[in-house]
Amino acid sequence: MNLLLIFPITIPLLTAILSALAWRSLKVQRALGVLGSAGLLAAALALLMNVWRGGIQSVQMGSWPAPFGITLVADLFGAIMVALAALTGFAVLLYSLGSIDERRQSFGYFPLFQVLLMGVCGAFLTGDLFNLYVWFEVLLIASFVLMALGGERGQMEGAVKYVTLNLVSSALFLAGIGILYGKTGTLNMADLAQKLRLEPQSDLVNSTSMLFLIAFGIKAGAFPFFFWLPASYHTPPVAVSAVFAGLLTKVGVYALIRCFTLFFVQDVQFTHTLILALAGLTMVTGVLGAAAQNEIRRILSFHIISQIGYMLMGLGLMTPLALAGSVFYLIHHIIVKTNLFLIGGVVQTLKGSDDLKKIGGLYKAHPLLALLFAIPAFSLAGIPPLSGFFAKLTLIIAGLKIDSYLIVLTALAVGILTLFSMTKIWNEAFWKAQPAGPALDNPAAATVTGGAFRLLLPVILLAAITVLIGAASEPFFALATRAAEQLIHPEEYIRAVLGGKP
Amino acid sequence: MELLLAIVIGGLYAAAIYSLLRRSIVKLVIGLILLGHATNLLIFTAGGLTRARPPIVAEGALALTPPYADPLPQALILTAIVISFGVVAFTLVLVKRAYKTVGTEDLDDMRGTDR
Amino acid sequence: MGLAATIFSGFLLAILAPFLHRLLRGKTGWVFALLPLAIAIYLAGFHREVRAGEALRAAYEWVPTLGIRLSFYLDGLSLLFALLISGIGALVLIYAGGYLHGHAQLGRFYSYILMFMASMLGVVLADNLLALFIFWELTSLSSYLLIGFNHEKEDSRSAALQALLITGGGGLALLAGIILLGSVGGSYEISALANADGVIREHPLYLPALLLFLLGAFTKSAQAPFHFWLPGAMAAPTPVSAYLHSATMVKAGVYLLARMNPILGGSAEWHYLVTLAGAATMLIGALLALPQTDLKRLLAYSTVSALGILVLLLGIGTAEAAKAAMVFLVVHSLYKGSLFMMAGAVDHETGTRDVQSLGGLVKIMPVTALAAGLAALSMTGFPPLLGFIGKELIYEAKLQAPTAAPLILGIGVIANIINVTVAAIVGIRPFVGDKRATPRKPHEAPLSLWLGPLTMAAAGLLLGLFPGLIANSLVSPAIQAIRAEEIVLKLKLWHGLNFVLLLSVFTVLAGIALFFARNFFRRLAGRAQGLSFLTPSVWYQKGLDGLMGFARAQTRLLQNGYLRYYLLTIFLATMLLVFFKLVLPPGWQSLEKFAVARYYEIGLGVAMLLAALVALFSRSRLTAAIALGVIGYGVAVIFVFYGAPDLAITQILIETLSVILFVLVVYHLPAFNRLSGSRSRLRDALVALLFGGMMSALVLKATNLQLHPTISGYFAENSLSLAHGRNVVNVILVDFRALDTLGEITVLAVAAVGVFALLKLKLK
Repeated sequence: MNLLLIFPITIPLLTAILSALAWRSLKVQRALGVLGSAGLLAAALALLMNVWRGGIQSVQMGSWPAPFGITLVADLFGAIMVALAALTGFAVLLYSLGSIDERRQSFGYFPLFQVLLMGVCGAFLTGDLFNLYVWFEVLLIASFVLMALGGERGQMEGAVKYVTLNLVSSALFLAGIGILYGKTGTLNMADLAQKLRLEPQSDLVNSTSMLFLIAFGIKAGAFPFFFWLPASYHTPPVAVSAVFAGLLTKVGVYALIRCFTLFFVQDVQFTHTLILALAGLTMVTGVLGAAAQNEIRRILSFHIISQIGYMLMGLGLMTPLALAGSVFYLIHHIIVKTNLFLIGGVVQTLKGSDDLKKIGGLYKAHPLLALLFAIPAFSLAGIPPLSGFFAKLTLIIAGLKIDSYLIVLTALAVGILTLFSMTKIWNEAFWKAQPAGPALDNPAAATVTGGAFRLLLPVILLAAITVLIGAASEPFFALATRAAEQLIHPEEYIRAVLGGKP
Repeated sequence: MELLLAIVIGGLYAAAIYSLLRRSIVKLVIGLILLGHATNLLIFTAGGLTRARPPIVAEGALALTPPYADPLPQALILTAIVISFGVVAFTLVLVKRAYKTVGTEDLDDMRGTDR
Repeated sequence: MGLAATIFSGFLLAILAPFLHRLLRGKTGWVFALLPLAIAIYLAGFHREVRAGEALRAAYEWVPTLGIRLSFYLDGLSLLFALLISGIGALVLIYAGGYLHGHAQLGRFYSYILMFMASMLGVVLADNLLALFIFWELTSLSSYLLIGFNHEKEDSRSAALQALLITGGGGLALLAGIILLGSVGGSYEISALANADGVIREHPLYLPALLLFLLGAFTKSAQAPFHFWLPGAMAAPTPVSAYLHSATMVKAGVYLLARMNPILGGSAEWHYLVTLAGAATMLIGALLALPQTDLKRLLAYSTVSALGILVLLLGIGTAEAAKAAMVFLVVHSLYKGSLFMMAGAVDHETGTRDVQSLGGLVKIMPVTALAAGLAALSMTGFPPLLGFIGKELIYEAKLQAPTAAPLILGIGVIANIINVTVAAIVGIRPFVGDKRATPRKPHEAPLSLWLGPLTMAAAGLLLGLFPGLIANSLVSPAIQAIRAEEIVLKLKLWHGLNFVLLLSVFTVLAGIALFFARNFFRRLAGRAQGLSFLTPSVWYQKGLDGLMGFARAQTRLLQNGYLRYYLLTIFLATMLLVFFKLVLPPGWQSLEKFAVARYYEIGLGVAMLLAALVALFSRSRLTAAIALGVIGYGVAVIFVFYGAPDLAITQILIETLSVILFVLVVYHLPAFNRLSGSRSRLRDALVALLFGGMMSALVLKATNLQLHPTISGYFAENSLSLAHGRNVVNVILVDFRALDTLGEITVLAVAAVGVFALLKLKLK
């Protein structure tokens, strides 16, 4: 039994249970949180190393042979995603320690956080379609509670939309599973891939594939399904927004990439062109939405949508290089976006607001923060040699290689608008002098700057990784390339799950 | 009977969608509950209907002998029922709290976070 | 190794600059200047090798999978640019120390300007086009940070943004062009592409690639209609204007054109497009310069004009034109850098840059005046300065232009006449005549402020007298790199009495005449204000505003806040996509093999549908709850009918709990109101029915199709023997698929925590 595959689920589970048992002692819960997240990170990195060296790993739960039991499987793509989830979890948990108020902490923040991570990791590792649904529900319910925890008015309004639209997505997903099982008689994804590959009438599952596309499209925040995201992401505490921003939509992207490379590949001409069109529209509507906003977290929320478009672009192009671009984009984006939300939180703490009209003067007063913002912001905008540049470059090369000029043009234009948005935050919050008006400076800011290190530590960590991915992109790119190879040639995946069977 | 169930499922979906599109927050929850029922029935039907014996191995037998109802969709639905109960329970309380906090049950008045 | 070090030492120093500045304080500029000086000396040492055609190379792999290599290459063209960048860079660093003396953010300033210098060196030394692009973008970024240096001023911020958007947008075009060219030519290495030129110009992607490259070059080098960001960039501190926006960065586009000439040049498209852009920019820049009164804006527009001349020369494409371009490049960098620094020194001392309030400064600032005078004379093309040689060569080249020579020459003469006038306004006028009252009482500028301008102006004189100093060592190898052929260059002051000389004399005389008539043209320009809608800067602003307006409208439309519209959009999209694939392909739609329903089953179905209607339309919450219960129990009965008693039991249990919970929660809420109008009800009903129909069809399709036998046989087979349970459903849940059950329990537990928190947690 390959324990490394189980750790990303059991470590958060165990941490969650222990934290829940220590309900009354926040000290213990905090310590457990740090320990558990660090443990998860270590396990995830070990898993990634293992998959890199030894190829795709799988474990049959309860030792029931695939496709009858549930298989956990880690190909490079899955392992990368787990590692990113663990990294995000670790960074945001550190940030939570200094930013989540004690009331929320004492109502289960830490166990919920761990359950969220468990759900995310489970979704990345499972090889079974229904089990994927279960993990989706686990992470969703945890995110519901985290979103609503505190019960402020904005949170309630945001949560109602968030919950409703995500439940609709789950219902469509579940219906899709039911129909797909009715047609193919199996739930194991590798088994599905194999059966549909051999089946001459396999295009009969195309209507079902649309249900999956929409269900995951909602979760990923793609056009025209993204409404829940800008309505809710700015309402909960910053740490919650940050972990959501980093991970949740990406689970949707992951599921889309997984399903539409592994078994919904009967009619690539139709499905993937459709995905490409949605990708372009997602980029454009997202970036325009961001341009219309004036608060940092709202701007960033819309940019999540826009960036999802780039990740889907790679899937829509469906070449090895394009998929490598998508994977690289995911690596880059999760780190950068989480970090930007965290920095937005620091700004909010320092200034008492993140409304660009009300704040300013950060460049003069907090040069380190300005630098820490500039790194992920310009990376997001694709300025070389930061990580985002290489991610976009890969996708653009991939697009031009197969003459998809329209999407390339869109991607480039959206790039310049992204730059516009990031400089807007920079110009207003950092360069502009603090506007006159009621003193917004948070009275708590003095104490925060004292303890700012606790908030800045995860920010520095993530910024350093962003710089590293840019400066030494080759190893990351090699990782993405191998992951893409495994996606586009799923034989190894199928073999790892089903064993030597033909 | 597949046709009948297909119609019932379609009807439940239609009712769920209509209810979800109402402005009342309680209707929203009703819609979600109906959506759950419809989906469970859909899995049940799509998995293959038989008026056969339940999938329980008879005393003395070593394995199920056909015809028997497909046990796998049943297991999935069981899981789905319980999960959707948990989620709906949470949603109900959320709706109640939202109603109390915002002071209205009209969803059209809950637009503050979008602008 | 050495080549890479020339670039990366700059980046390293940029990182350390804020810290070192704290130690060095007033001496920072002088100390930092040693680096570019060392780079210049180091590179100049290679001039013999370069002249002999032995290009110096260095290469490091960076992202080999994407074809990005840090490969560098020193030939005549790179060397000429690199020497200008590092040489002027050293002077600017010293100058900035004096100009921004005591500024709180001087450390950051050094950081940015060093970053710029290193990036610019990267641009001109890179052999790999993608590496070139990376440095290219870094020059845009550092330019942004430098233009916005006075960041609390609104003007600076918007000018910085404008420059970034325009050069950044052009940069993205360039990137696309590079990728296209790379796929056409099979390499991103400039040196490799230069050997494959025939193939490239024949390729169908040649024209798109060319256009994209030109877009990149024209935006960077402020060619019309993108010229307007350059005057705006004058919001930057003067050392930045002198360095980035006259001597170096704006020449990056010129460099790119020169560099790509052997690869992309030589075609009719190249010739016409580049010539046209250059000629138009040359004229527009000059015309716009004339009415200005601000020293820096005067210089900025004349820089636009000069960039136009350079681009025009590269468009003409003859050997004569290439010669003229390279000589004028040196000429312009020297006099324009010098004049900018002079303007900064005057501004620094007097507190104003308005030429109308300056006069008689020669007695107070004699050294500065000397530098200004020499530079201005070079700009007018007065012998024996280098500018004279440059202008002669330009006229010569225009005269020999293969197409439209008279027109090009005519425009050129007009532009040059105006440039003579501008030179007089900027370099002579403030120093002669009566002294005028200025905001500050002027003194001679300190050493750090006059060293740079005087050095460069003196260089203009020295090289004019002894052009042989650079002719064969620097300029002709550069021309060779552009033309890809052997060139012998003889620069001299006296060409004999010929047509070109007459033109030069005429230009200077007409320029002086225009100088005295300048106020007339200023008034004329004042009256032409109504024509401002013609200017691209207005289009830029309108475009930006329009885009923002569109963004807001689109966002209001999509993200409108109405949950029901969000749902409606999703349902409509779902139907659109699913229907499309549902009916196709045909063949599954036969209904024959379905079993017939029994009458009590039909009764149950009807009852459930009726209950659904009640749940929808009842005004009482209790009734709705009961109706929901009926549906739930109905589902349970269906489970019983079709062999799923376990499911039925669970369903009944859960349903009972749900209904109780529902009643508890909503009991105290008021009765339902009819909130939506009848039209939206009708629309929603239609959507709902269509959606229901779609789901029915999907179910039928699924039951009708059995692409594969189900895997359930395994459970039937092994439930008892291997898992030791008779109830197969239970065995699946607790054994075969235990992981699902773990998730399920987790969901329940979290939901319980959530309910508890929602009920109990109150902030404050």
